[in-house]
Amino acid sequence: MKLLKLEIVTPDGVIFDDEVKQVTLPGSEGEFGVLADHAALVSLLDTGVITIDRQDNKEVSVAINGGYVKVEEEKTLCVVDGAVALSGEDTHLAQAIAEAKELLERAQSSSMTIAAAVSKVENIKKR
Amino acid sequence: MANLKEIKRKISSVKGTQKTTRAMKLVSSAKLKRAEEIAKRSKVYAAKLTELLSEIAQKMQQNNADGIDNIFFQENKNPKKIDIVFVTSDKGLCGGFNYQTIKRANEVMAEYKNSDVEVRLSGVGKKGIAFFKYNQVEMINEIADLSSKPNYEASTELISTLVEDYVAGKTDKIILIHNGYVNMIMQKVSQQQLLPVDVSALDLSNSVSMSEIEIEPDDNDELLDALVKKYVEYSMYYALLDSLAAEHSARMQAMDSATNNAKDMVKKLSVKYNKARQEAITTELIEIISGMESMK
Repeated sequence: MKLLKLEIVTPDGVIFDDEVKQVTLPGSEGEFGVLADHAALVSLLDTGVITIDRQDNKEVSVAINGGYVKVEEEKTLCVVDGAVALSGEDTHLAQAIAEAKELLERAQSSSMTIAAAVSKVENIKKR
Repeated sequence: MANLKEIKRKISSVKGTQKTTRAMKLVSSAKLKRAEEIAKRSKVYAAKLTELLSEIAQKMQQNNADGIDNIFFQENKNPKKIDIVFVTSDKGLCGGFNYQTIKRANEVMAEYKNSDVEVRLSGVGKKGIAFFKYNQVEMINEIADLSSKPNYEASTELISTLVEDYVAGKTDKIILIHNGYVNMIMQKVSQQQLLPVDVSALDLSNSVSMSEIEIEPDDNDELLDALVKKYVEYSMYYALLDSLAAEHSARMQAMDSATNNAKDMVKKLSVKYNKARQEAITTELIEIISGMESMK
């Protein structure tokens, strides 16, 4: 399977830079998935959760509070305002989820978008 | 001899100063490391944001032969009123760090005033504010305690009021001046035109196949507006971080040379002290000998 390069940049630095199978992004006009060779696209990102399908078939989620994405055929670049990665072991995960929820609730989006994002984050915990 | 005592006192006082300056240098170098790290990390974000903005700007330029049809990009050839924002430090003892920024701000102000443009000044940092207040230059924003602790919300608050005036057509230009970090021993004053976005300053070389790019939301202006606002806000914030790193490096340098000066001073005073001591001994000896001579 062809991979695409994904880079997520926040004001605190680069938090993700790797080749992945697929990434799902919370666009301002609705969620959309990106595979390799996607048509070029620039979109606003809403508050929500980025879901990344890694090469080893593991899923990683990153909660964000809005930003921009630029999709090119080989490379996808996300420039986001704030992000919390939700991965790792149980204890780490619980802490990350709490941080993610805090980040989402502070975001300046409609309450509905925030609620949807928070519930998504909570679902990760249950899995 | 009284002179001897005085020199001794001076030596110990200079030694005290030396201790303080050395401690301040160490503190600054520790703080510099942290500030440098933060500035470096933010630089990546700033670079990516600029990259995104320049690509979209370029695309819109291709679609529209007479430049970009957006208020943030249209340059008013005859500006009536402009905003200048400068960033200085809150604390002193950092050599010519603040003076360089102030000097540049003055130059830019004079330049615009000569061509009959009204200039509004906004200041960040106590040192710069104090300078312009002393010279009775009016400022519309005076923000202290921000440059020593950069804070995204507070910097956004400042710049967004200026952006609002720009959008409303009250001002025609926003210029940001700060003293930036180059390396441990160098700072460089940078002057940046925030609005209108200077397309020629953006790097348009490395974008690919932009003619086919799709933009979402369909309304190009919405995305561009949001992006430009973010760009301006972040540039402001980055200037604060950059300025803080530069401030610490400037202070480190200033304190280093102060420590060295103190060292030289101690050396000179010690020589003086020894000479005075020898003189005193010689005088005493002469007194004793001449006293003995007279006894004979």
